[in-house]
Amino acid sequence: MDEFTVGVLSNVGMISFLALSAYLLLVTGEISFGQQGFFAIGAYSAGIGTALWGWPLGVALAWGAAAAAGAAALVGALTLRLRGLYFAVATLAFAEAVRITFELLRYQVEIDGEPAGPNGTEGFRGIRYVLEHDIGPMQYLGLIYGLLAAVLALFLWLERARIGRVLRMIGEDPALAAMQGVDVARAKLAAATAAGALAGLGGGLYAHLTTYVEPRNFDVMLGVHSLAYGLIGGLGTAFGPLLGVAIDIGLLESTRWFSGYRMIVFGGLVAVLLILRPRGLLDERLVQRLRSGWPFGVHAAR
Amino acid sequence: MSAAPLLEIADVVTAYGRIEALKGVSLSVAAGTITCLLGPNGAGKTTLMLTVAGILKPKRGAIRFEGASIAGWLPDRVVARGVALVPENRLVFAQMSVRDNLLAGAYLRKDRDAVAADLERMYERFPRLRERAQQHAGTLSGGEQQMLAVARALMSRPRLLLMDEPSLGLAPLVVGDIFRIIAGLKAEGTTVFLVEQNARVALDVADRFYLMEQGRVSFQGTPGEVVQDEVIRRAYLGSARPRLPSPPPQAGEG
Amino acid sequence: MGGRLIDAVQNTLDGLMVGSSYALLALGFTLTFGVMRRLNLAYGATIMAGVYLGTWLTLEHDAGVAAGGSAAVGGAILASLYVERLCFASLPERAALASMVSSFAVWMQLEEAAMLALPRHTYPFPALVSGEPLGVVLPWGALALRLEYLVMLGSAMAIGAGLYFVLQHTRFGRALRATTDNALGARLLGIEVGAMRMRAFALAAAVGGIAGFLIAATDQQVTPMLGMWTTIKGLVAMMLGGLGSLRGAVAGGLLLGVVEAHAQWYFGPQVRDLVAFLLLFACLAVRPAGLLGSARAGGSHRPPGGGRG
Repeated sequence: MDEFTVGVLSNVGMISFLALSAYLLLVTGEISFGQQGFFAIGAYSAGIGTALWGWPLGVALAWGAAAAAGAAALVGALTLRLRGLYFAVATLAFAEAVRITFELLRYQVEIDGEPAGPNGTEGFRGIRYVLEHDIGPMQYLGLIYGLLAAVLALFLWLERARIGRVLRMIGEDPALAAMQGVDVARAKLAAATAAGALAGLGGGLYAHLTTYVEPRNFDVMLGVHSLAYGLIGGLGTAFGPLLGVAIDIGLLESTRWFSGYRMIVFGGLVAVLLILRPRGLLDERLVQRLRSGWPFGVHAAR
Repeated sequence: MSAAPLLEIADVVTAYGRIEALKGVSLSVAAGTITCLLGPNGAGKTTLMLTVAGILKPKRGAIRFEGASIAGWLPDRVVARGVALVPENRLVFAQMSVRDNLLAGAYLRKDRDAVAADLERMYERFPRLRERAQQHAGTLSGGEQQMLAVARALMSRPRLLLMDEPSLGLAPLVVGDIFRIIAGLKAEGTTVFLVEQNARVALDVADRFYLMEQGRVSFQGTPGEVVQDEVIRRAYLGSARPRLPSPPPQAGEG
Repeated sequence: MGGRLIDAVQNTLDGLMVGSSYALLALGFTLTFGVMRRLNLAYGATIMAGVYLGTWLTLEHDAGVAAGGSAAVGGAILASLYVERLCFASLPERAALASMVSSFAVWMQLEEAAMLALPRHTYPFPALVSGEPLGVVLPWGALALRLEYLVMLGSAMAIGAGLYFVLQHTRFGRALRATTDNALGARLLGIEVGAMRMRAFALAAAVGGIAGFLIAATDQQVTPMLGMWTTIKGLVAMMLGGLGSLRGAVAGGLLLGVVEAHAQWYFGPQVRDLVAFLLLFACLAVRPAGLLGSARAGGSHRPPGGGRG
């Protein structure tokens, strides 16, 4: 594989974590405009772990995910009673506050005679673990997709397990779920925390791939994009958000067929797609049909 | 009845997606009468009302009002033609004043002076609405909201008034008031076609009854025939004493 | 002591004047959210598109500031009708999420279109007024009121009053409020809800277009970031005041302006934005209904008013 392809695939993989993070909340019926905040926390925390504290990559990635999960649990607890637009805007406010905090954050340590670490709006340079340890682009790609595969397996198990059905039930009708004895608050908090961890893990991977992050990487655009991926690809299965990422980054951004007016094409495409399929390409009905054996006619009924 | 009916519904089918809620309904409403439609929950009564009002589009069948075919018309044309629906649960505009609710009822009318006169007439007929003219409709009691919903519909000067469960959720005394209003409308020449679960109160005012079950009309007759019919008496009037008032099924005062 | 006090007064006044433009943005957001029960993320982008049209006319065709302003409003209205048809009217009412994402996609479209038309990062925009700030001498110090801020405040007040009159006292305003309150109830009275929603979008875009024009004329420059900026300011102000309340939108806009002005004065521009977002988060966590929102909004918005089935 050439360098360009590896780069594109790496990007697709990392953004997929963020898209899955937003998707997990969508399944429980919440729209978050703020998952990029947890992505940022993961990126900065993991980057500080390796670059400033000299931790191994694995530990730093886990720490990034844990820090993001902690923040997500806190935000989740504070916004537990909010729904719909209220929740969406609260998460937006949180993520923007995180971004501006990183604009203000200066934590520089002298390493090999050079200052390293977060430096406000200048960004956080020198997250060089991958280079210093001779991890090649292919190896790193393997790491990203290995982790993504593990996460995806977890999602697929979840969708079939009781907890997956519970989360979807909460998404459709929280009052009904509560009547059935589901502890809605606890389930939502757990989902929010897990979504934060996912975004944080993606952020840590991102920081170590690019070796450099800056606060404006994590603006609202990133968050709304990751939300949109789930809806474009479909809300019926965890493959939906991955498909959404693949279409946008893998197809449109990388092929440069529409360079200069890619967004005009992409925007129009998404708008028309949503008219035809308001729940995305792989929506719940299609997934149901696929699961029941369609088109091979095992179950013809809907 | 010899005169041509004001409203004539023939073989109307209305579906939600693939599920047919009306499976070929035929009935007629004579001018100057009160016609009452009975039936259990889910029989399609509200669907029929919404179809006549133009909110739902029938899949097939004919709806004629004063001889003109209005099937498939949009609500604004139906209202302009002289048919108004007082919907189930009233749907008053809670955040708007009582006066603005009434004026909204006259939305399609351009004759401002006549609208002002009609507003005054509504206040005379429903003094409670005048008292509360500047209050938000959401602050009214259930009975007052029902009066407002009727008055609002009358502001379009309909010749046929459709009413979907006007007694729903109201206390028995208030139900009595509402039915006195309905009888008054008939006296003024407005034809009324209403859906009612509470057949007992309707017996006092209605001229003709229809019973709908599972999307079809299964019985029609005069009040006398309703009282005679063993099955209907049991299901809609309670067993023995057909004429005594009793609380409606959902007796939650609003 | 007197110095501190006069700073506080000056900041508050500046904040109120800038906040008046936030109030206009929040009013536009509230109008469209009210009739749609769905969030139009492209609201700021439509304003940006209008302002860019105005900028293009003034730059390329030497149009005056009045023509530029009219073009900004007209362009915003046209762009908003495109958004309404494509992202809202074409989707079922319950597909709130799809409409939101669709409007976001169109935001991206409009932003790129604007950058294709005017590719530099910033462009100058003609000032509406120029001149020395108005000096006001008080017993304990002197205030300086910037003329462009005064114009902004005056215009915003005039538009707010006009909007209030239209909504409260005209046939159109009553029908619009009825549609917002209960769409099915409105349809039963012969109000064409679809047309009413289009008009609400156009009205909101006109209000937003004027706000965008005032902001551009005050800053004397435009960037494609105007779309994001107006969306965030309008959204924050609307939620601070209380979703669905027009008075709340005005209060939220003014509050946001005042808080920002003080934070900027004491802590600088980055902290200003941080304070605004933390305030919003805290407000939502503690009192989701907003400053003036009705209590029953508490935490959840009403389901869309619509027919059965």
